[in-house]
Amino acid sequence: MPDTAQANVPFAIATYDPDRLRAALRKMYLIRKFEEGAEDSYTRGLIHGTMHLSIGQEASAVASCMALTDDDKITSTHRGHGHCVAKGADVARMFAEFFGKEEGYCRGRGGSMHIADVEKGNLGANGIVGGGLPIAVGAALSAKRLGTGAVTVCFFGDGANNEGAFHEALNMAAIWKLPVVFVCENNKYGMSTSTERSTAVANIADRAAAYAMPGVTVDGNDFSEVAEAVETAVARARRGEGPSLIENVTYRWRGHSKSDRNRYRTKDEIAGWVKKDPIARMGAMLVTHGIMAEEDIAAMETDVDDEIAEAIEFARSGTDPDPAEVTRDVHTDRAA
Amino acid sequence: MPKVDMDMAEGTIAKWHVSEGEKVARGDPLFDIETDKAAMEVEAPGEGTLHHVLAGEGDTVAIGSAVAFLYSEGEEVGDPPAGAKPAMGSEEPTGRRGETRSDTQPVQEEPAAPPDEKRKIEAGPRATPLARRLAREADLRLSDIPGTGPRGRIQGEDVREAVRATDMRASPDPEPKGRAGAQTGPPLVLIHGFLSDAQSWGPLEKAFGSGRPIHKLELPGHGRATRKPPADFSALVSHMRRGLDELNLEAMHLVGHSLGGAVALALADTRPRRVASLTLIAPAGLGPQIDGAALDGMLRATRAESLAPWLKRLVADPDRISWNYVQAVLAGRSDEDLRDAQRRMAETLFADGTQCFDLQAALGRVEMPTRIIWGRRDGIIPWSHALSAPGRVSLNLFDDLGHMPQIEAPEAVADLLAASVGLAP
Amino acid sequence: MNAAAGVRTREMSYAEAIRDAMDIALTEDERVVLMGEDIGVYGGAFQVTGDLVERHGPDRVIDTPISELGGAGVAVGAAMTGLRPILEFQFSDFATLAMEQIVNQAAKVRYMLGGAVSVPVVMRFPAGSGTGAAAQHSQSLEAWLGHVPGLKVVQPTTPEDAKGMLLAALDDPDPVMIFEHKLLYKLKGQVPEGRYTTPLDKAVVRRAGDAVTVVASGIMVHKALEAAGQLAEDGIEAEVIDLRSVRPIDRETILESVRKTGRLLCVYEAVKTLGIGAEISAMVAESDAFDFLDAPIVRLGGAECPIPYNPDLEKAAVPQIADILDAARALATGRR
Repeated sequence: MPDTAQANVPFAIATYDPDRLRAALRKMYLIRKFEEGAEDSYTRGLIHGTMHLSIGQEASAVASCMALTDDDKITSTHRGHGHCVAKGADVARMFAEFFGKEEGYCRGRGGSMHIADVEKGNLGANGIVGGGLPIAVGAALSAKRLGTGAVTVCFFGDGANNEGAFHEALNMAAIWKLPVVFVCENNKYGMSTSTERSTAVANIADRAAAYAMPGVTVDGNDFSEVAEAVETAVARARRGEGPSLIENVTYRWRGHSKSDRNRYRTKDEIAGWVKKDPIARMGAMLVTHGIMAEEDIAAMETDVDDEIAEAIEFARSGTDPDPAEVTRDVHTDRAA
Repeated sequence: MPKVDMDMAEGTIAKWHVSEGEKVARGDPLFDIETDKAAMEVEAPGEGTLHHVLAGEGDTVAIGSAVAFLYSEGEEVGDPPAGAKPAMGSEEPTGRRGETRSDTQPVQEEPAAPPDEKRKIEAGPRATPLARRLAREADLRLSDIPGTGPRGRIQGEDVREAVRATDMRASPDPEPKGRAGAQTGPPLVLIHGFLSDAQSWGPLEKAFGSGRPIHKLELPGHGRATRKPPADFSALVSHMRRGLDELNLEAMHLVGHSLGGAVALALADTRPRRVASLTLIAPAGLGPQIDGAALDGMLRATRAESLAPWLKRLVADPDRISWNYVQAVLAGRSDEDLRDAQRRMAETLFADGTQCFDLQAALGRVEMPTRIIWGRRDGIIPWSHALSAPGRVSLNLFDDLGHMPQIEAPEAVADLLAASVGLAP
Repeated sequence: MNAAAGVRTREMSYAEAIRDAMDIALTEDERVVLMGEDIGVYGGAFQVTGDLVERHGPDRVIDTPISELGGAGVAVGAAMTGLRPILEFQFSDFATLAMEQIVNQAAKVRYMLGGAVSVPVVMRFPAGSGTGAAAQHSQSLEAWLGHVPGLKVVQPTTPEDAKGMLLAALDDPDPVMIFEHKLLYKLKGQVPEGRYTTPLDKAVVRRAGDAVTVVASGIMVHKALEAAGQLAEDGIEAEVIDLRSVRPIDRETILESVRKTGRLLCVYEAVKTLGIGAEISAMVAESDAFDFLDAPIVRLGGAECPIPYNPDLEKAAVPQIADILDAARALATGRR
């Protein structure tokens, strides 16, 4: 790992080549515009159900996946669109899932809350707070037993850190020294309840001490800081030294879900966090270090807009599932 | 239309004692009905005023169907409830208002409050799904079939029986004879007592006549049956049940004497759907006492002189036991294997002069018509055992008979049997 | 079935048969791991795993912390990523602690993800009353799990089936829940040597008869067979069906028997209300076999109370042989 402090260059700039950095920024835009497109489609009544938007948290998702290959796994959360895109998913198939189509990642059976992309190593979003924590530990157990070398990044929110599953999962990962990195996206609120009101410790990462694993709290809107923390943890996991806990402090600009009336926080608070927009900060960093020009970024945005428009069109014209197949995939078809 | 007879499916109104609009008190005669067997007066089930007479004199109505309605005082008299009409009849109303009404019926524009629940009940027959299907397939009406299940439920076997009865009616009776002139009902199955055999039924058979086919089962170790003694009472019953099942009878009237009575009761307990009636003559199994000395004496006797005193104990009038009879019995006991089997049976069934099996619970369970016939001068098994029978069991106690009513008074026993079987004397 | 086909057999207890199956699986397939509380040197709460840790090592016979939810989740995650875990619960009652992972995750992941992944996990639950362990260690919760699409739920009743069904469960690509009645662990029987499988979806006629159909599950099969033997002495031949599989229920075996006997008695240890007896009764009532019923269907199930401690009360809380005898006799002789 390069000595970033000495060079006075951000970790990300020192670590990743320009193509990867540009690709990372593009993914952040893709997440933002995917979610704006999804929100728009929802508002127009084109998709039903609900969705949990992660607008404002894009750096956490993308930077946390920088250290991973397609063989590595992630487990995701109900606020998981960003993780899915970050791990390499195709937004067209994601939109198709939102539209409930056979072309969707879950063939229209999962929707927003269960979006997954197993081929890219995304074991799935989870509708249960804390549901993915033990599953991530299980994936790490597989990797260790089978010797695949794969690492699992387990995304969860601040809410999940008060679930029993959090304690059980972190403890087991630690006693068995499993290759898993617990990434807590602390966006300050579990629905309406702030971490101050719900959590006894000041930083969720403080809880790592209870499991004798490293714990670090970083600015979740700073791409480089997140990437550095996760790279360090993943390297430790790959060396067989066990799990780490990383807390990305961030903020969701939108409500908890589409039914949130935002009565627990102020407009000023939201506006303050909008100023800390992780995408703008990432763009500024790339411009500062000469990796991209402002016009390149504008062109990138237009390109992403086009991709989103095409993806929505792909999804809208997708195949509706046959109601006669409502029980398909409850069990594995052994003949297939 | 009440069901007043076991196999009644419908009744004809012979006469109304009350006319429309008249008041009756509970217990007043309401109407007379005629079945194919009897005429009977039906009393008012409660106080009230008669309205909506749906079945007139001469009309034939299925049981359970409404024939009229009683209204209590102050209750508004409205239309007859929907569907309240006789299921059949010479003059079947359509049920539509006004169309078939006589001018004595009330005419009201407003529909009245429905009569109370009791009067509304349309007693559709209770029947199992199997019974319903079989009836459907045989094109029989359930209301025509008597149910023998719990609370009169019609079970599959009831419909099969009805199908058989229909088939028999359809074919001409080949040779009418016997008491009622027809061998149409289920046969009799007779089971003799300990130390006896099938031949002992001779006098009763003669007295009963040929009204029904008769099958006689012999106990193991007796008559021409196997010489292998059963290990215990349960094994004895199992053996006899196999014999019974081999007869392949869908229905029967079961008769048993003494130990055979106990066996018959046990069989009826486990084959209740096939046993149409049960007649127990001086049955064993209803109490512990038995004359062990008599059993022992008969088992040990090798000469007529030692056998005769014990045989005389079997009957109320010792003079009935002739010397010839004693010698015939002794001759029948010449087979060493037979005597051996009987000794072993006595050792297990009547050890220490005690009946080692108890069928009182079975007697409490059986639900088919059951009759116990006993002589009050029985010297082998105390007749008072009969008193443990539940109330629905008929008791026929004879002052001057002993342990062998079927031999001592075959005509009297035959008459009772005929009544059980449903034959006219 | 295998025992009759000339295969060499050996007398084993039910517990030994399960251990034999696990031994075969651990030997044949590197992906198989055992997980559970105190299954290592302790040998398992009911000595089912016994000495397997000595033969296969602590990396494959894994003692977990007392973390039922976490353990179940780890097993699910491991199953999704290549391992074939067998998770032992100390008591089936503790499934309540793990319901989230069993019901929300194991059962649903495949469906939610549109068939993109399978969850080949096996969970074993020592179940049932009769040990004086009272209300929280004696329950029969198979119907709880049987209510969840995506799970297969079985109750082997003989040593031969216990082994064959466990090996079949390991072969199965989907989650299989095995309920083992604790009082059966010491039951001895002839067990074929080597690998064989017993279907997970087939009931079996343990005793043929024509007077009444007795569908029993778990330990009630043995009680029903005892009752049937006594009924036979009275010439009443009861047909005893060992349900074996709670989900799916082998419809055809039951219906065929009911068409023959016209009488149905369901016997199960779990609380009677809303249980498998209700399901079987409804299944018969909805089928063509309805038209063969010649008496009301009768259910014998557990009392509407927790399992009590006092031995007489404990017996009173679940069906006994005398209860089965009375009910079957009343049905067979047309008195119900």
